[in-house]
Amino acid sequence: MSIRVTQGMMTNQLMRNVTKNYNNMNKYQENLSTGRKINKPSDDPVGITYALRYRSELTMNEQYQKNMDSAKSFVEHTDTIMGQINDVLQRASELTVKGVTGTNPQSALDAISAEMGGIFDTLLVLGNDQMNGKFIFNGQKTDQMPYSTGGESTDTQKVNFQSAAGVIIPINITGNEVFGENTDQDNMFTIIKSLQTAFKNGDQSTAVSLMDKLQSRMDKFLDMRSEVGARSNRIDLMDSRLKDLSLNLTDLSSKTEDADMAETIIKLQSQESIYQASLSSGAKIIQPSLLDYLR
Amino acid sequence: MASTFHGIETSKRALSTQMALMQTMGHNVANANTDGYSRQRVNISASRPIEALGFTKSNAAGQLGTGVQYDSITRVRDKFLDDQFRNESKDFGSWSVQSDTLNKLEGIINEPSDTGIRTVLDNFWKAWSDLSQNPENVTGRKVVRESAMALADAFNYTDKKLSDLSADLTSNIDAKANQINSLTTAIARLNDVIYRQEGLGDDANDWRDQRDLLTDQLSQIVNIQVTDTPQGYTINMGSTNLVTFDTATETTADALTNGVGSGDISSGEVFGIVTSRDRHVAEYRKQLDSLANTIANGEVQITIPKGSVLPPGTVLNGTPYNGALTSDITVTVQGLNGLQKLGYTLNSPLQTGVDFFTSKDGSPITASNFQLNKIIADDPGRIATSMRSETTAAGEAVVKGNNVLALLTSQLKDTSFKFVSTGSATVVSNGTVDDFFRAVVGQLGVQASEASRNMNNQKSLVDHIASQKMSVSGVSIDEEMSNMIMYQHAYSAAARAMTTFDQVLDKVINNMGIVGR
Repeated sequence: MSIRVTQGMMTNQLMRNVTKNYNNMNKYQENLSTGRKINKPSDDPVGITYALRYRSELTMNEQYQKNMDSAKSFVEHTDTIMGQINDVLQRASELTVKGVTGTNPQSALDAISAEMGGIFDTLLVLGNDQMNGKFIFNGQKTDQMPYSTGGESTDTQKVNFQSAAGVIIPINITGNEVFGENTDQDNMFTIIKSLQTAFKNGDQSTAVSLMDKLQSRMDKFLDMRSEVGARSNRIDLMDSRLKDLSLNLTDLSSKTEDADMAETIIKLQSQESIYQASLSSGAKIIQPSLLDYLR
Repeated sequence: MASTFHGIETSKRALSTQMALMQTMGHNVANANTDGYSRQRVNISASRPIEALGFTKSNAAGQLGTGVQYDSITRVRDKFLDDQFRNESKDFGSWSVQSDTLNKLEGIINEPSDTGIRTVLDNFWKAWSDLSQNPENVTGRKVVRESAMALADAFNYTDKKLSDLSADLTSNIDAKANQINSLTTAIARLNDVIYRQEGLGDDANDWRDQRDLLTDQLSQIVNIQVTDTPQGYTINMGSTNLVTFDTATETTADALTNGVGSGDISSGEVFGIVTSRDRHVAEYRKQLDSLANTIANGEVQITIPKGSVLPPGTVLNGTPYNGALTSDITVTVQGLNGLQKLGYTLNSPLQTGVDFFTSKDGSPITASNFQLNKIIADDPGRIATSMRSETTAAGEAVVKGNNVLALLTSQLKDTSFKFVSTGSATVVSNGTVDDFFRAVVGQLGVQASEASRNMNNQKSLVDHIASQKMSVSGVSIDEEMSNMIMYQHAYSAAARAMTTFDQVLDKVINNMGIVGR
């Protein structure tokens, strides 16, 4: 700086400093009122790319959680229905054991046969179960009833839900897996139907051979049921992982975007005092000139 | 031999010189706050001493002083600083306009926010993911339709804002051309005035100040080279002449735009405006076009699971497909539109998907003409979600519960697209839609902060030189007041000297030769 200092220089310098301090104050004020330290891309060009990523991931994470909620309710519903099927099968097994003991009069066998008919009908109803208007056991053909006579095969394809970026999990099990294909020896409908007929005819030996098939179907059914349970666990796991991730992302996002309140307030306050100092020193510098002392 | 009245003449010269000094002081003080004013100084010197005329030198000892005279009134100014100021000022002009435009761009891109394109895009993918849960229903389809329309709106709106900004900048070039013309005309006129004044031997200080001020202003608008000739300022902008002597060459917006192209204009506000418009704004429009076009048509690799039944006549990667796929296949399709055509809609008889996004005017898709296909807008059932058909009694029908296409679409969010380049530079050539948008925003952030940093640096340079200029040329009230006291005293003393001579003469004229009277 040169030796000569003029009023104009002083005023300009003062204006410059006051404006600069006021700008700084405005910045902290903005950070404070929005609660964010990134309010536009230029505030932190690198930070903003992260901020945007976290925001997107959080949004999608919400969606995945929503998907998992739906998946869970679907799987749980399937499990409930399978529980009911299990009860019915247990009953069929008891009846069969009772029926093949050999001391039953035909009237008792007729009663067993009639109950078997009822069991068959119940199974048919359960096999055609719907959730939200969709048939749960007919693979992707959710709008078509899988069983009308019990002699059909179902669609075998899985319905997948998305649980994370690039990760899909199947939510349904098909009628074929639960009841057996229509060509299977141990197709559930076929066995129950055959048992009904055998008892009606008092055909003990056929009933005995069917008992083995019933057992084999029950084993497969229980396998399937435990698979549903495992899938439910998988969904739970996925869900809690998504929740963890959500927490993690919120944390990261906040670290990237959010202003540290304590720090910002302190900075704002120190900026405020700097601003006031520049104003008051300005007032002091600008006012006097030699004029004030000349008479 | 000095004249009898020599003393009075000497005092009179003193009085008028001190008066000139005081008047100049008054002029300085009066202009203490005038823009571009440089303080003036009266150059005084002792006037020529008397040497008696004669054929031979007189015998009187020494030379008799004749008092004081002022030779000129000149301004105190450093030409070097003027040059420096103009040099820095042009860069400040350029960066301040660019920084301003980039700030506006930041406002238009509007990130981070809950209303920007990113949010709309997220909602779009979310809607697809939702739809994949219930492809049989119409509700999810409506959500997809609405979110797709919102996406189209966001693209259209953003592009409209960008084109408005571009138009604003164009009209600014016009305004700048007018400003340049009025400045150069005034400078040319001042050149003439100064030339005439100074031809008479005077210094046209105030005119010069005005001319310099106008030149300073001009220097912020365009880069100029000023040559000070005896006829006045010759001002060139690159190889284009703006002012020669009393003639200003009119410029136009077109000429200015061409000037930037030819390199004549390499700095200043005009350069900033043209760069902002043709580089920054145009580039972000192109990026946005590329984004819109890529979502609709960009090459993307997807894996179609086995069991899917592609529409008859489908040829992918040169292989025709017929019937259900026996294994997963990985193929490249043309964006969302290409994907849609591989699947079936909700309607029967079996119906293949249509382009999801189309352009309003039939030309290639850009951000401005981007829209949801009218067919889908009218009937959300035309959104293809299924990739499977079956043979029924009534003929081939869609398997409505198949959500493969909906899933694939929602997964596009995390899939790398090959970005369609629509001109200069694409920020990302391969990447997800999110990557691309993030890169655009990041780039904008870098450019905006760079421009604002450069502007601030340049501003402090300009301020610094302005300060130096003021240090040389500025009026200091204190200084003027001290001088005033000095001049006043000198004036009083000169008056007193004159009174002395007066009394002496009074003695000679009125009181001499009256002995005994």
